[in-house]
Amino acid sequence: MSTSSDSTTTTSATTESTHETAVVLPANLHARPAGQLARAAAGFTSAIQLEYKDRTVNPTGVLAVMGLGATVGSTVTVRAEGHDAEEAVTALAQILATAE
Amino acid sequence: MSASVGIVLVSHSAELAAGLRLLVEQIGSDSVPLATAGGTDDGRIGTSYDLVLDAIRSVDRGQGVVVLPDLGSSVLTARTVLEDHPRADVLIVDAPFVEGAVAAVVTAASGADLKAVADAAKEARHVHKL
Repeated sequence: MSTSSDSTTTTSATTESTHETAVVLPANLHARPAGQLARAAAGFTSAIQLEYKDRTVNPTGVLAVMGLGATVGSTVTVRAEGHDAEEAVTALAQILATAE
Repeated sequence: MSASVGIVLVSHSAELAAGLRLLVEQIGSDSVPLATAGGTDDGRIGTSYDLVLDAIRSVDRGQGVVVLPDLGSSVLTARTVLEDHPRADVLIVDAPFVEGAVAAVVTAASGADLKAVADAAKEARHVHKL
């Protein structure tokens, strides 16, 4: 299915790039942070993925994010590819890292 | 930011609609125009043509309105209202009530257009919660 995590890479000669970061959840991934992630993700042009265990979802889908069932202490990887990939990863990782 | 698509929650129960409203405002946004049409005109379990019509008018900001009925006569009443007041930019959407409302409000809050909001609600049927 999805690839395992690797470090940040620049994929081509264009300004498009791929970024990713892993976040250890400080709390279960509840409905409220899922909503924050979805709204934040919609503001970027890059293709964004959240990866948890062996599942990958598009974070613009609030229900899919909730459906991950990601629990406190587990790791969620944020990956983005596109012109604003770095900003997208930073923004979503921030939401994940500060979820209550 | 420009105006958002409006959302109407139609339920047999005023309390159910009001509770769902509180939930979606927490998960999604309290900035999306959202109205409830719950119960009958005199507060009993049932649906009200006038409450549905008023709710649609109250959330119309010119970007379209998505109407989400819970089941049964909510669907019939909402359809009757839309048949009497046909508009291309007011859509009744077949979606699970809670999940569809959450998806619709979150999508509307991100500035999506009417079709995207309606699609988000419809697709809620296919998202597993486990």
